[in-house]
Amino acid sequence: MIAGLYVPGESPLHRLDVGVKLLVLMALGIGLILTKSVLLLILVVAVTGLLFAFAAELGLMRLWQTTRPLLIWFVFIAVAQILVANAETAGLIVLRLAVLVWAAALVTYTTRLSDMMECLIRIIGWLSPLGVPPHRVAFMIALTIRLIPALSDVVQDVRDAQRARGIENSIIASVVPVLTRVFQQADAMSEALEARGYERWDDQRNNAP
Amino acid sequence: MNIALDHVTVRFQDRPVLTNVSVTLTENRIGVIGDNGSGKSTFARLLNGLLIPDTGAVLVNGVSTKTDGKEVRRQVGFLFQNPDNQIVMPTVAEDLALGLKPQRLESEDRDQKVAKMLERFGLSHLADRSAHLLSGGEKQLVALAGVMIAEPDIVVCDEPTTLLDQRNAAIVMSVIGSLPCPVITVTHHVEQLAGFDRVLVLADGKVVFDGNPKTALSFYKDSLA
Ligand SMILES: Nc1ncnc2c1ncn2[C@@H]1O[C@H](COP(=O)(O)OP(=O)(O)OP(=O)(O)O)[C@@H](O)[C@H]1O
Ligand SMILES: [Mg+2]
Repeated sequence: MIAGLYVPGESPLHRLDVGVKLLVLMALGIGLILTKSVLLLILVVAVTGLLFAFAAELGLMRLWQTTRPLLIWFVFIAVAQILVANAETAGLIVLRLAVLVWAAALVTYTTRLSDMMECLIRIIGWLSPLGVPPHRVAFMIALTIRLIPALSDVVQDVRDAQRARGIENSIIASVVPVLTRVFQQADAMSEALEARGYERWDDQRNNAP
Repeated sequence: MNIALDHVTVRFQDRPVLTNVSVTLTENRIGVIGDNGSGKSTFARLLNGLLIPDTGAVLVNGVSTKTDGKEVRRQVGFLFQNPDNQIVMPTVAEDLALGLKPQRLESEDRDQKVAKMLERFGLSHLADRSAHLLSGGEKQLVALAGVMIAEPDIVVCDEPTTLLDQRNAAIVMSVIGSLPCPVITVTHHVEQLAGFDRVLVLADGKVVFDGNPKTALSFYKDSLA
């Protein structure tokens, strides 16, 4: 859901500084934990939804697509909370989750990954006295995001190949071929990275005044 | 360009894959053909130091791949067969920007260079697209743009069109043909060799023919008979 899904656009939310967006997201997260008012939460849900669909021009359809895979979890959590606590707690938790998911998706949809990375580099930069290499960390995050769809392709391919041979949905039978392919791909990718000069990235920084 | 292979031998688990190869490459367009397993990829990967010979040496413009692989890789760009392995960032523009990393540009200069390169390759409309979702031909062009943005002096391509249909193969080959630097291309598509200055034929880890494309092709076809 969150994977590198920048949706190009010119909305005010697209243009808002990444740092501000991340700060608001963080503040929102903290605020959500602190608040106990269902009414306030409903209001925040509505505002987030409106921002998502209209201010960011992402549309109701995308809002639904973002929410759909999680609905089952929402229901599950709600039922569990009603059983162990009460309806109000259930409502609180589900509303908090909805806001958080929508807000996080809103930030990912309206922010280029490279901008997000630059911001992250700045933040991790404060930790570099502790020996954390900001560019490497940021690159690893980006690479991971890039590999998620590739991985699901591999799984799909292996499944298809097995179904063609009459093996239906055997997770166990697909583990070995999937891992083999993934390792091969990782090998090829690290070679390509070497060819593209990965080892030189740090040079200039070392030489910089 | 001057790439010199001096008595190069490569072994994998004691099995020789290239045996005592000595050639000097100076031409602008060089092709490499040969059967599966004849050592073409091994040969290609020697040229930018992704692979170091077990014996002998590879010098790129006088720089040894063994002692200064980093510098060699700065000079020699490499286009792989499968662009999925070469494209490492989520979107097209971000992937191109990666090739500029060593230059440590301001983000505006960087974006401008990326935009220029995208335009040069006719990819501007794909800038913000997820690289994962492009067509095979588009992916290979993105991979090549990612190579070219680092401004290499030489480009090596290992079967750049094998995964493409004929139309896209032709597009990619014509873009490769128009690159402003010397190019060494490994290929299975012999018809692509027509305009080349020089063609090497590999068999069983040896250079069995070295000359103009026409003679190389008839040599290769005879060897199949
Ligand atoms: N990393 C490796 N480990 C072991 N053997 C290898 C390795 N890489 C290549 N080989 C072997 O070396 C030989 C030459 O391989 P190479 O990939 O250079 O051939 P090729 O001419 O590029 O073939 P193709 O047309 O299939 O791409 C093959 O027999 C291959 O099995
Ligand atoms: Mg090969």
